[in-house]
Amino acid sequence: MPIISPFIIYILRKGAFIIATFFAFLLVIFALPRAIPGNPVAALLTQIFQQAQANPDTVKAVYRKFLEEFGLNKPLHEQLFDFISRLMGGDLGTSIAFYPRKVADLVASYLPWTLGLLIPAILVAWAIGNLLGAWAAYRRRTRVDNALLPVFLVLSQVPYYWLAMILLYTLAVTARVFPVAGAYPPAMSPSLTSTFILAMLHHYTLPFLSIVIVAIGGWAIGMRVLVIYELRSDYVEYSELLGLSDKKILGYVFRNSILPQVTGLALSMGTVMGGALITELVFSYPGTGYLLFRALSTLDYPLIQGTFIILVSTLLVANLIVDILYAYIDPRIRVSYVGD
Amino acid sequence: MLRGVSKIISPELFTIRKLDASLAVLLTIFALGFVGSTVYPVQPTAVVGPLETPPSQLYPLGTDAYGKDILAQLIAGIRGSLQIGATAAAISLLIGVLIGLMAGYKGKIIDNLLMMLTDIVLLLPSILLMIMVAAYFKWRDPLLVSIIIGITSWPWVARAVRSQTLSLKNREFVNLSKMAGLSDFRIVIRDILPNIASYIFMAYVLLMSGAMIAETGLSMIGLGTTQGVTLGNILFWAQVLEAVRRGLWWWFIPPGATLVALAASLLMIATALDEYFNPRLRGS
Repeated sequence: MPIISPFIIYILRKGAFIIATFFAFLLVIFALPRAIPGNPVAALLTQIFQQAQANPDTVKAVYRKFLEEFGLNKPLHEQLFDFISRLMGGDLGTSIAFYPRKVADLVASYLPWTLGLLIPAILVAWAIGNLLGAWAAYRRRTRVDNALLPVFLVLSQVPYYWLAMILLYTLAVTARVFPVAGAYPPAMSPSLTSTFILAMLHHYTLPFLSIVIVAIGGWAIGMRVLVIYELRSDYVEYSELLGLSDKKILGYVFRNSILPQVTGLALSMGTVMGGALITELVFSYPGTGYLLFRALSTLDYPLIQGTFIILVSTLLVANLIVDILYAYIDPRIRVSYVGD
Repeated sequence: MLRGVSKIISPELFTIRKLDASLAVLLTIFALGFVGSTVYPVQPTAVVGPLETPPSQLYPLGTDAYGKDILAQLIAGIRGSLQIGATAAAISLLIGVLIGLMAGYKGKIIDNLLMMLTDIVLLLPSILLMIMVAAYFKWRDPLLVSIIIGITSWPWVARAVRSQTLSLKNREFVNLSKMAGLSDFRIVIRDILPNIASYIFMAYVLLMSGAMIAETGLSMIGLGTTQGVTLGNILFWAQVLEAVRRGLWWWFIPPGATLVALAASLLMIATALDEYFNPRLRGS
């Protein structure tokens, strides 16, 4: 019998689950407008059709495109089949508000700003939060821990966008240290010059900080508890008896406690993404949150759906990457994972 | 950060003094919400004064861009947010407990299917799901918003209830009930549920704070309730009408600070309750 590496089995299982989740999500996206009483998409179609009577050419073109893409006049299973097959071909439909631009192109031009904000912010907050949490645990029942813990707890309950408003008000509006809106000065166009990059970082600071500061709270609370439990385990006592230095022991404790936090990283990304989208609104930052808000306020259903499909795909891919990383750093999975 | 919260419950977190402080904060906000409009009978939706005046004796928290009183809005907003929070949390709890009990008690294929569903919902970010559902409704009353929040926030409750049910179902008293020929339904109601009641209560408190934060997020992106005032609703208008860039701090600081105070005190209370109900976690 050929022996397949447990690592491969683990990755395949995770991958299969993520693909299943993606299809479940697509099914929800497909079913939602069709299941809600009064079919909002059909209602929007009627509305566009009425406009077309007054304002022929372009609106008629929008109407035809919309009718074709949603295919509401076809039987349900054909609609579903069309929906999935178009999607697999990379076609997310045509935007109504930005007609005739394709949804996929629109989202692609806004997505880099969101990812550029989100990925560094999540990683930095994760690193700082875990270090602070471990420190608080090590200094438990001292002034350090007593001062830090309430701060972590309150921070973990602050909405990103509210902290964004506070930072914007204090550091940009009142103190004028940072710009009040956008991702770069409106007079500049994106280029790879040092002046542009500096201006960009200047605009980047506040949105970045508002995500990092809040996210630190949750990570620190989790890590603090994990380290406290870990410090009680037998090997710590044994190492102390052997006379190992505190620093050395803490290193082991930290490595053991960080594992659940890696899994936590996968689970928390969605929450951070949701908060970050709204934070973009506060700073008029040209990411997908801003695009989504435009789409929502104009009831541009193809654009709303497309944005969600791209965001959720990104998230699922990120989840798979974290799962692979986890299997790689946790020797128990690398060596002995054989399914249930 | 509900998921983050559920894992932080630990014995070391709280002394009784901190519970007192959080209860005091919570009761103050409750009092403001429920008695406030009697003591300060100003209509939250009525134009009562000059536009955008900073706090003064006449308008304790100032007025907004339409000349509406912010304190009156805050009072109504607390009530609105608490109402949505309480309803949404009840819905999540019902779904989570039902799925958790079924999966844990029935086991086998039912368990596998239900946990697969739970894991799928857990993997999809709840705030994105909420936005997606809410986008299709033109009119959203507080009940609809509560339902939307409720049906997307239950997975971590289901997981926790399932694992507690699993550990309970093979205890002697459950086996005795089985031998006595009691139906599954009665065993779950009389033997299992009472043993996880303290956890359920704690989960409700956490769900409620999560739901109020979710409501604010939905409102901020323009998909909150279209009827009545909530804390999120006040923040939404402050955001849309550029309160931050125009320096109208009295418009966006009070609703946000109230929300944070509410959520943080609920979290601390849940933590303290857990310590109280689980004596094993105390001390050491």
